This record gives sequence, structure tokens and C-alpha cells, in this order.
Amino acid sequence: MTTTPQRIILDVDSAGDDILAILFALGSADIKLEGVTCVTGAAGPIEQVTNVVLNTATLAGRDDLPVAAGAWRPIVGNAKEDMEAPVHFEKRLKERFGERLKKFNPPAPRPARPAMDKHAVDFIIETVRRNPGEISIVATGPQTNIAMALDMAPDLASLVKQIVVLGGCFQTPGNMTPVSEYNIWADPEAARVVLRSGAPVILVPLDICEDNRVAASMLTRDDLNDLATAYPDSRVVAHICENFSIYIDIWREFFHLVGFPLDDAIAVATVTHPELFTMSEPLFVDVALSERLVRGQTVAFSGRQILSFDGPKTTRICRNLDGRRFLQLFKSALGALR
Amino acid sequence: MKPIKVILDCDPGHDDAIALVMAHRSPAIDLLGVTTVCGNAPLAKTTSNALRILELIGARDVPVAAGCVQPLARPLVLGTADGPSGLDGSPYLLEPTTELVPMHGVDFLAKLLREADEPVVVAPTGPLTNIGMLLLKHPDVKEKIARIVLMGGAFWRRSEIITPTEFNIFCDPEAARIVIDSGLDVTMVGLDVTMHVLVEEPQFKRLEAIGTHLSKVVLDWLRFYEKLHRGQMGIGGALHDPLVLASIIEPSLIETREAHVEIDLTATHAFGATVADFWGLRGLPNNVKVASRVDSDRFFEMLYASLTD
Repeated sequence: MTTTPQRIILDVDSAGDDILAILFALGSADIKLEGVTCVTGAAGPIEQVTNVVLNTATLAGRDDLPVAAGAWRPIVGNAKEDMEAPVHFEKRLKERFGERLKKFNPPAPRPARPAMDKHAVDFIIETVRRNPGEISIVATGPQTNIAMALDMAPDLASLVKQIVVLGGCFQTPGNMTPVSEYNIWADPEAARVVLRSGAPVILVPLDICEDNRVAASMLTRDDLNDLATAYPDSRVVAHICENFSIYIDIWREFFHLVGFPLDDAIAVATVTHPELFTMSEPLFVDVALSERLVRGQTVAFSGRQILSFDGPKTTRICRNLDGRRFLQLFKSALGALR
Repeated sequence: MKPIKVILDCDPGHDDAIALVMAHRSPAIDLLGVTTVCGNAPLAKTTSNALRILELIGARDVPVAAGCVQPLARPLVLGTADGPSGLDGSPYLLEPTTELVPMHGVDFLAKLLREADEPVVVAPTGPLTNIGMLLLKHPDVKEKIARIVLMGGAFWRRSEIITPTEFNIFCDPEAARIVIDSGLDVTMVGLDVTMHVLVEEPQFKRLEAIGTHLSKVVLDWLRFYEKLHRGQMGIGGALHDPLVLASIIEPSLIETREAHVEIDLTATHAFGATVADFWGLRGLPNNVKVASRVDSDRFFEMLYASLTD
């Protein structure tokens, strides 16, 4: 059976799993990757984020892939010392892993080509407007670019096929505060714009990515061995095997997960393989903007409450994932890259 | 003297309308363009009002681009000071016949700034949505902004007529925060001074005496505007936005004090409040020049002069 490939714009902040999500999308026959847009987030400043994406495209032999740089800061953000906390976290990692940590989020070498001469927000607006109802946006970093695009072009909400947001947490504790997850926390105002825009949203929370309940979806050293054995001639696989064991160890030792969680690739899979997921009915999901303790918390309106809150019931939350089948898909997509 | 290059970002609005008139008619100002934003009225109305005003004053050559239709991160709350059209009260305004620049206002601001041969004064007289988005999307144009003189904020004299929050900041506090934290030279012309620039009977008499077509239109607007203000607050019409323009032409019209200013994004009753540390108690760097005093009589002389042929 041949089906028309799903057309996707990936919006990334170039952490480790973003790199894997780009490779996963490029290796999937059922995905047509329209372009990658970059946003300031987990990997640092926008130049670093963009260079990592360009280098990843080169690794996959795809220097034709449109890559656009986007927001250099969040709409509001958080206190400076909180924004810098991940850097101090890296210092703690350095004490534990020493020289090996050099492969964790390393400064990107100068890429083979520059990014396109167009802002990410314009790339998103133009691509979605030219292809009404066709484009899925998969946003795996802070939601700044997507919110800016919706602010400048509110018609996008009805023109986009869907927006997949990697972020938030419900039962699984958050990674910035006990109730907030990094991507939403890093730009809560932007996430709120997306969730309230009226566009159909699929929310992929920590619960189905960074929780041992979905351990089968995580990348382990065994998986690296499998990949190396199955695809001995693949440049991409060799690169991953060489660079991602440190990620596996960090997530095992510091976050007590059985492997490296592939959050961003999981978000991509919601577009092509929704059957792997259990999703809620469309709900209204809001984001707490207030004090530090709960800033960035995702609040889903399920069940019955006495107080009423208004917002569009447009977000389907992923509640569970068939991790084993996802990981098979992921590995064969990587193997398909030449 | 060489005219000052200015871009006006506005949401007309009666007082914005008069700011436009002053900007166009003053030889001290070279008005490069106008961008519109939602605020006093929805974007479609503020944009159409800007075009109608420019036609009325023979300024069809000033390019206008429509900007943001909603605040950066929250739903639009409309202003109440200008009537449903945003510019009620004048029978002289016709439907606009000029075309908009076919570009988003935020990108047009960036284009005007990049093409300018010297740094430009940006004068926002509505919510700061366009300018916030400009600084988010086009950070490179900062070097082409000489200063930002904006209408917004309330600092010292909170009272029954000066609410804890001022509309432009309240409407889009996230955008306002981007602007004041931009590191640019920012002057906030807030309610502390604009509430002392009141149009009342003596000012109406002077305006009547001018007797030009333009002064009659302005008089119509101001009569409507004054009545609405008096009904709401019991005082005359405060000419918030024209004071921004006048203080760009004549900086000595206002006194300013530097301070570190923050905007409250989480409060309930004081949501959008501008909080200034004038004494430097917190040891944070000054980011804003806050207008503290105004010479209202001199302002009105400038207004009368700009309406005289």
C-alpha cells in the first residue's frame, strides 16, 4: 500500500533528541519534511541551534533541506538565574562524566552552508498558507516561533493540518519544577497562544516520553549495538553510535530512566503513526503563567469541575505509547538513511 | 535644522489622530511611515482610521502598513476612550481610497528601519505589540532605532483619575516588557504627564479662533473626546499621544527621571502596572526615562501652531 507522505515542518531547539527527530523524519518514507525551523531553547543560542540543524542535514546527505533560523529569545521567559540553571546542571554532569561530556550538546562546527535568508516565522506562515490543510507543524522546543507565526497570521490556526507540541506533564513529575516541563516553562506565554489558537493540537507530554512506564521507547546501548550490526555501512548510524552513548548514560544515571528518551522523535511519530498512541478526546489545555512555583504547568480540563474556564477544546493529549513498535520504526528509519 | 526621522506606530484613536496631524505638519519631523495596531479599536478600524486621517490632511504619500491584530500573548481588550469606530465625532472623514503597504506592519517597520540612512525615532502611541514583535523577530534593526518615545505607564500619582494601570501597557504587557528590557533608549510618556495635558473650555476657545478646515475637524474630535472623558472621569480630554509627538519635536516640554521599571504580569488588580525603582534601592540598571513633568501651556501652543495655515 502506498500512501501520500505526511507533510511536516519540524520546529526544533537542537537538543540531542531533536537531532534524532530530524534524522527520523528524513529517514521515514511516509514523511515529506518541508523544512526545519529553529528556536532558542535547550541547546542554547539560536546560532548554535541553527548550526546543529544544518550539520544534521549534511550528515543525512540533505543539504537541500530548507533550514530557517527563528526566535532568539522567548516572549517573556524566566528570571535570568533560572534560565541559566541548565548550565549549572551541566557542571554537575561534568563532575560525574568528565571528558566524555564533550559529546553532550557540543558547540556546532561551522556548517557547510548558511541557513535560508528567511525568518523561521515567515517560512512557517508562507508554507502553511500555500498548502492549506496539508501541513503538520511538529514543535519540539519552546513554542516561540509557532506563537509568533499565529500572532502575525491568525489565519494559520485554520490552515494548518495540526500542531504537535512536545511539552508539558500531567502524572509524571516535571523536569523544571515538579509541575512544569522545560519546553512549556521556557516560553509559557507562547505555549498558551498555541493551545488557545483554535488550531488542532496534539500534546506529547513527558508522561509518554520520560517515564519508565514507556521504557520500551527509550534508546539503550543494546539498541546502539543492534543499529551498528544491522546497518554496518551507514554513516548516520555510525555517527549516532559514536555520539549518543553519553546521552544514554546521563539519562540513566541522572534521571533514572532505562535509556535515552526520544521525546522529539515520538512527537514526529504522532503524525504518521497515530495508531501507536492512546490519545484523549479534544480538551482545553491551559498553561499557568503566574509565580515561579507553578509557572509553565500544563492544566488539562478533563473530568467535571464547579468553576468554569473558557478555552477551545482542541488539544488531544497523548496518554500512552506502544514503545516497542515506535522504537522499531525509529531504528528502521535511521537505517534507511544513506 | 534637519528634520527628525520618525515612525509612528498607532491605534487611532482621537489622540493618535492628533499625533498624526502634528507629525505630518511639523517641519521638524520627517514622518517615514505609519504602522497600525489593535488597541483603541480592532485593527481593521485603527488601520482605516489612520488612512482616513492621512487623506484628510493631504498626507496620502505617507505609507501605512497594518500590524498585529491581537496582543502577543493574550486576547484583545478594547479601549473605551474613543467610541466604537475608534474615531467617532467627525462628519468630515470619508472612507479611505489609499492602499495599504502589502506587508505586515512588523516587517514594514523592519524594512523602513533597515533602509533609513540614519537611526530613527520610533513613536508607539498604542499597545506595544508591533514593537515587541519587531524586537523578537528582527533584533538586527535595534541599531537603527535612535530612541523609542512611547505613550504608556503610570508611576507616581495614582488616584481616582489615574488608575494603577495604563491602557497601552495593560493591553499588551508582555510586549511592553520586551520594549523596556531591550537596552534601547526608551522614554515612557505616561499618565503622570498626559493627564495634565487636558483639553477643556479655554482650549476649545483657542481652537475655534483658528478657523481652518483642519482645526474644525480636530475640534469635532476633541469635543467628542472631551465629553466621553468628562463622562467617565469628570475631567477634560487628556491628549496622551500628541504629547509623545510634541516631546520628540521639543524634548524640553517634559522632564524625565531615569529608573529601573518593571511591569507586573501576574497581579490581579494591578495587572499591567508599571513599577519604577526611582531610588535605585534594588541596584538594578536603569532601563527607562520616565516623564515626570510637562509644560502643558507650551504643548497647546505647539498644537495651535500646527493647525494654523
